[in-house]
Amino acid sequence: MSAYRKPLPTDDPLMAPFWQNAKARRLSVQSCRDCGDKHFPPGPVCPKCLSEDQEWEPVSGRAALVSWVRFHRAYWDGFVGEVPYDVCLVALEEGPLLVSNFSGPVPDDPKAGTPLEVVFEDVTDTVALPKFRIVA
Amino acid sequence: MNGLKGVAAVIGVGESDYVGDHARVRAGEKPHDSNGYAAVAFKRAIEDAGISRDDIDGLIVGPTVAYERIGEVLGINPTWGGQQDAMLAVIEACMAIKSGLATCVALVYGNDQRSAAVQYGGPEAMGGNMFLSYVYHAPWGFTSQGSLYAMMFRRFSELTGCTERHLGEVAVAQRLAASLNPGALMRKPITLDDYMASPYICAPLHLFDYCLINDGGVALIVCEAEKAKRIAAKKPVAIHGVGRFDLNRGATSLEPRLLDFYRPAQEACAKQVYDMAGVGPEDMDAVQIYDSFSCHIPFALEGYGYCRSGDVGRFMAEEGIALGRKLPVNTGGGHLSHSYMQGWNHQVEAVRQVRGECGARQVEDCRFVHYNSDVAGKAVSIIYGV
Repeated sequence: MSAYRKPLPTDDPLMAPFWQNAKARRLSVQSCRDCGDKHFPPGPVCPKCLSEDQEWEPVSGRAALVSWVRFHRAYWDGFVGEVPYDVCLVALEEGPLLVSNFSGPVPDDPKAGTPLEVVFEDVTDTVALPKFRIVA
Repeated sequence: MNGLKGVAAVIGVGESDYVGDHARVRAGEKPHDSNGYAAVAFKRAIEDAGISRDDIDGLIVGPTVAYERIGEVLGINPTWGGQQDAMLAVIEACMAIKSGLATCVALVYGNDQRSAAVQYGGPEAMGGNMFLSYVYHAPWGFTSQGSLYAMMFRRFSELTGCTERHLGEVAVAQRLAASLNPGALMRKPITLDDYMASPYICAPLHLFDYCLINDGGVALIVCEAEKAKRIAAKKPVAIHGVGRFDLNRGATSLEPRLLDFYRPAQEACAKQVYDMAGVGPEDMDAVQIYDSFSCHIPFALEGYGYCRSGDVGRFMAEEGIALGRKLPVNTGGGHLSHSYMQGWNHQVEAVRQVRGECGARQVEDCRFVHYNSDVAGKAVSIIYGV
């Protein structure tokens, strides 16, 4: 898989648990041990109560579509062969929003609220990208 | 709250030669660097104001140039200085004047983004390290500025029924304005059918929904109101009110964009600016809206109370946002068709409309012009007037 040419996650220590969990087929978000707020992306303190006591908590993987776009132009060389390609924004059942891609068949004009569930696509030896499949 | 009402006025405006410079850049030449464009605009602004460089005691530069270097280039040793984007530069100038730290502030911007091939998407996206959402989503191929607005407009369209064709009213109206503006880059009128036939860049946004990328410079001279009357060659254009409200929480995961369309920020900002100015949307003769992408316009028209919430598609199509219709918006052609000076040329257009200097595109009896923007969650508003 060394030939993977699309952008990979940046080397962000705060995000390392997210990617470790993804590789193990677990979708997770940062959760505050003090106030219970679940948020993504992670931060050094809880954005709701400023607590430093935070952990990564698995989420159900169920989500609803918020919006989506179709790229007809590639801004990265690795996507040149794929245009047009879609990017979606999903709302996890637990609240946080996530940018992702659809996986599997997609109707012509998917509507907001369409139910989705996470799947993982291995793109390198160390990175699995969470994507979302439309639930029939 | 009176705040900054009437504290200061704009007494001079200047712009570089967008049309000539764009032709030279496209021919492979490099007319100026960012500092050079800024210097051209500054000289034109002080000439327009009828003042000398030594009347200036404040300097605020745009984010694309270095503060110290611009001060050196222009020979200005100010009592107050700083660096801001277009709208915040105007507000900071008013704040400095109100507090007595300066009396006459030059606001100076230059940008060689076209000739320097500045990128607004992909691996070298401008500002990416400061605005995480620009690059954070790269593994899923979501990186460009336009895609953020495309994502917003898809949802907005689904919720309100503002269609792509409704959105096309923006590009068509602004191109009409540009066709009447000798300083605009894109002057050939387009129709709604041309708009619908134009290619998608990031659907649902078409090519004509995207701003230009060109080189240029802009400068404004903002002066304390009484001093302005004494030294300015032309009638000063008053700054009647300003407003600001930011939505930062959840910015990277796009919550304020996608769930709220920045509406709470716009509403808070609208209340502040209208209260300060003592006028409301019904008093505005023209509106200038930051338009890196066309859909800024429908979001702002609803957010600032120019039409009912959820009604902007019908408003744009039936009542109209072109010159000569209900509410002329971006009367110089805006970033889509005039010049992409990141909000700076909108301030100039507002001033010239209030002065009555706009020739074929002049709004009749123009007394108040409202500028507003929502860039990366910052809702900022300024009301200019007689």
